[in-house]
Amino acid sequence: MLNYTIRRLFFVLFVVWGVSLATFFISQVVPGDPALVALGDKATDEMITNFRTKNGLDQPVVTQYFTYVGRLLRGDLGTSLRTGRPIIDDLRDFFPGTLELSATALFIAALIGIPAGVLAALTQNKAPDIIVRLMALLGGATPIYWLAILLLEFLHNKLRLLPGPGRLDAYLIAPPRVTGFVGIDALIARDWEVFTDSLTHLILPAFVLGAFSSALLARMTRAAMLETMSQDYIRTAKAKGIAQSRVVIKHALRNAFLPVLTVLGGVLGGLLSGAVLTETIFSWPGVGRYTTDAAISLDFPAVMGVTLLAGVAYSLINLITDLLYALFDPRITYA
Amino acid sequence: MRKRISAVALLGIGLLAVGVAQNSRSSTLVYGGDFSDLISLDPGISYEFSGGLITDNLYETLVKFEGEDLSTLKPSIAARWAIKDAGSSWKVTFNLASKKFASGNPVTAADVVYTFDRAIALKGNGSFLFDEVANMKIGSTKALGKSTVEVTLPKTASPAAFLNVLTFNIGGIVDSVLVKSKAVNNDYGSEWLKRNSAGSGSFVLNRWDQNQQVVLDANPNSSLKSKLSRVILREMKEANTQKIALESGEIDIAENLTPDMVKQKATDNKFNVYKADSLRLQYLGMNTGAGSLFEDAKVRQAVRWALDQDSMVNVLAGGNARKVQTIIPAGLFGFNASNPYSVNVEKAKGLLAAAGKPNGFEFEMLVPQGSCAAGVPCSDLAAKIQSDLGKIGLKANIKQIVQSELLGIYRAQKAQMVLVGWSPDFPDPDGNATPMSDYGAKSLAWRNAWNSPAAGKLAQQAALETNSTKRAGLYKQLTELHLEEGPFAILYQPKVPVTLSSNVKGYLRNAQGQVRFEKISK
Repeated sequence: MLNYTIRRLFFVLFVVWGVSLATFFISQVVPGDPALVALGDKATDEMITNFRTKNGLDQPVVTQYFTYVGRLLRGDLGTSLRTGRPIIDDLRDFFPGTLELSATALFIAALIGIPAGVLAALTQNKAPDIIVRLMALLGGATPIYWLAILLLEFLHNKLRLLPGPGRLDAYLIAPPRVTGFVGIDALIARDWEVFTDSLTHLILPAFVLGAFSSALLARMTRAAMLETMSQDYIRTAKAKGIAQSRVVIKHALRNAFLPVLTVLGGVLGGLLSGAVLTETIFSWPGVGRYTTDAAISLDFPAVMGVTLLAGVAYSLINLITDLLYALFDPRITYA
Repeated sequence: MRKRISAVALLGIGLLAVGVAQNSRSSTLVYGGDFSDLISLDPGISYEFSGGLITDNLYETLVKFEGEDLSTLKPSIAARWAIKDAGSSWKVTFNLASKKFASGNPVTAADVVYTFDRAIALKGNGSFLFDEVANMKIGSTKALGKSTVEVTLPKTASPAAFLNVLTFNIGGIVDSVLVKSKAVNNDYGSEWLKRNSAGSGSFVLNRWDQNQQVVLDANPNSSLKSKLSRVILREMKEANTQKIALESGEIDIAENLTPDMVKQKATDNKFNVYKADSLRLQYLGMNTGAGSLFEDAKVRQAVRWALDQDSMVNVLAGGNARKVQTIIPAGLFGFNASNPYSVNVEKAKGLLAAAGKPNGFEFEMLVPQGSCAAGVPCSDLAAKIQSDLGKIGLKANIKQIVQSELLGIYRAQKAQMVLVGWSPDFPDPDGNATPMSDYGAKSLAWRNAWNSPAAGKLAQQAALETNSTKRAGLYKQLTELHLEEGPFAILYQPKVPVTLSSNVKGYLRNAQGQVRFEKISK
C-alpha cells in the first residue's frame, strides 16, 4: 500500500508537469498583451518595455517556460497581474472559502443523494422511485444560477428564513484570521454569534451547489444498488432471514458503494476547483470567483496557478478514492 | 413579586439590547458593489476606482471638490493657496488649516512633504500624476515653517492641473510620524498602509477582508463630523445578488443593478435612483494617417452626421448617458455643450462625395468584447454604428477582439476605426485635451495619426494658462476645432445609476466617483 501510494504521488508530479506545460503554452497563444493587461491603456511605451523586461516577457518562449518551472519548483506560482500579490498568498486567502463550501455541499449531496438512490432502488418503478428519478432529473437539469437566485429570492428575501449572500451578516465582524475558515476561527475566538451566523450563511450556497451533485449521486446509487440487489449473495442473505436493513446497508450498499465513491471523488474535485456561479451569486470569496476575475482581466499567472491547484486537487482526490476502494472492498489490494 | 420584577428587568434589558442594535444599524451604512479592483488602501499606491472611493474618506487632501462640482476647488487641509510665476518655475504655496490625524498627531507641513515625496518614490500606478503630469521630483515640495508648504513646478507643468491632481487618491495626506514608524525595508510603510489607515479623513479603516468587505469607522479626531458611525462596503459582483440584498435590507446602496432593474426601482417608493455623472467618453477613433480612408476631415464629419446618438443614449443606454460631441466631458472645467451634429444622411453623403468617395467604402471597425460605457454590450453598440454608417454607404466590418489585443493594434496606429472609451486621469480638462490633441504626447491623437499643430498648441497653451477666463476661451477654441477636424466621433458620456434605500439621505457622487460618507445619514 505504501509503495503504491508513493508511486502514485510520483505520478502526481507528472500530472502537475503536464498541466504546467499545457497552461503555459495556452497562455502564450491567447490573444492580448500581458503588459497591456497589467499596466492598462495609459501606460507609456517605456513602462511597457520595462514591464516586459522585468517579467522576462522579452525572452524566448522556451526560456520563459524554464524560468516558470524553476519558480514553480521553489514553490513560487508568480505574481497576479490583477492583485499585484503573490498568487500563493491569494490562493491561501481564497481556498478556505471554497473548501468550506465544497465540503458542506458534498456532505449535503451525500446526505440527500445516497439515501434517495437507495430508496429508489428498493422501490423500483413505484411511487418513491419515480419521485426520486424525477427529482434527480430536475436536479441535474436545473441551472445552478437560476436555482441560486430563486432560493435567495424566496428563502431569504421573501420568507426571511435564511441569510443572504456573503459568509457573514454585514453587521458582524469576522474573527481574527487563524485558519481562514470563518466558523473555526469563530470557535477559536469563542464568538458564538459569528459561529452560528457563519453556519447559517453556508446553508443556501452549499445546498445549491450540492443539489446538482445529489442528483448525480442519487442516479448512480440507484443504478449500482439495483445491480447489486439482483446478485445471488443478496438473495442468499435474504433467504437466511437477515433483516432487510442489514441486507441493504451491510451487504448491498457496501458493494454498490465503489462506483458511488468514484462519483463522489469527481464531484469533490469539481467543487474544489471552483464553483464559479455559486460563489459569484452568493458573493462567496472563493477560488471560483478568484479564477473568474483573473480570467476576465486576462491575469494569466493567476489562471495558471489555479489550474495547477485544480490539477493537484484532482490527482490527490483520485489517489484517495483509489485507496478508499480497498477499505470498502477487501478483494482490492495494492502492492 | 421578585419573579415579576426580574421578568420586567429582563424585558427591559432585552428591549434595550434591541434598541442598541437598531441604533447601530441605523448609524451603519452598508454599500453593495463590485469592489474587486481593490488592491491597496495606501493612497500613494491606490489608483483604482474602489481605492479612490475608500481612501477619499480616510484621507483629506490639500484642496478638494465639493458635491458634484468638479470645476471649483475648495479648501481642505489647505486653508489658502496661491500660484506665483517665479520666472523659470511656478511656486504653489499652501497655508495649512489646523487639523488632526486619527492618531491625534497634528497635520503639519512635514506631513505634506513626506506624502508627496513618498508618492513619487513609491512609483505606484498613480505616481505619474505627480512626476509626469505635474513634473514633480523628490524635493519639489518644501516646508516653509510648520504650516506652510511650497511646491515648485517647472514651467512645462500646468499649475491648474497640478491643483486638480491633488484631489485624487495620491493627494491624500498621510500621518508621517505614524507611517514612518511602520516602514520596513524602505517601503515607506506601504505594506502596512495597504490594510491600515493614517489620515485625517472622516473615517478610519477598521478592516479589509479581501473580496468580502471593507469596514470603516467614524474618525473621532476628524474635523469632518460624520453622521454615520460605520460604513461597510460589501463586495457583491452580481446584479441579481445586489438587487435581492437591497430588497431584503441587507445593503442600503446598490451600485451595479442592470438598467432594467434600475428602471423598476425608480418606480418603487422604497428606493431612490441617483444618476451620477462620470468623466468617461465612449467614442469612435478614426485613423487619419496619409492615404487612409478617414484622412479627409470631410469623411470624419460625414461619420458624425450619420450617427444616431439619441438612440444610443435613450435606447441602448436606457437613458443612463448624456449626449455629448466635444472632447472635454460635461462636469469638467472647459466643457463645451455644443452638439451641432444630428442625423442627416443627405448631408453626410454630400460630404463623402465632396471628399471624392461618393460610393462610400468598406473598412474594419475594431470592437472590444464585453460591455462598453453605461453597460451597453459593445457588440450592440457596434451593430448600431454599423447600421447608421451603412445608410451613408460606409460598410463597417466589425471585428470583436479582447480589449488588450485591440489596444495593441490601436497603439501601433494600425486600426482603421476603433470603438473604445476614455476617462481622464485627473479632473482637469488637460486630462483629455492633451492626449486627444497633441500628436507629440503619443497618446490618442497619435494613435489616430492625427497631427494637428494647431490643436497641439492650443492644448499646451490651455494647460499652462493660469487665468481661468483665458483658459476657458482656449478650450472653447480647441473643442470647436475638434468638432470640425478631429479624429473622434464622441458617442456619449455614461451616467452611473446608483440605487438607494429611501431612508438613505445626503448621498452625492461626483463624476470622479467620490462619495463623502460623512454627509450621508440613514
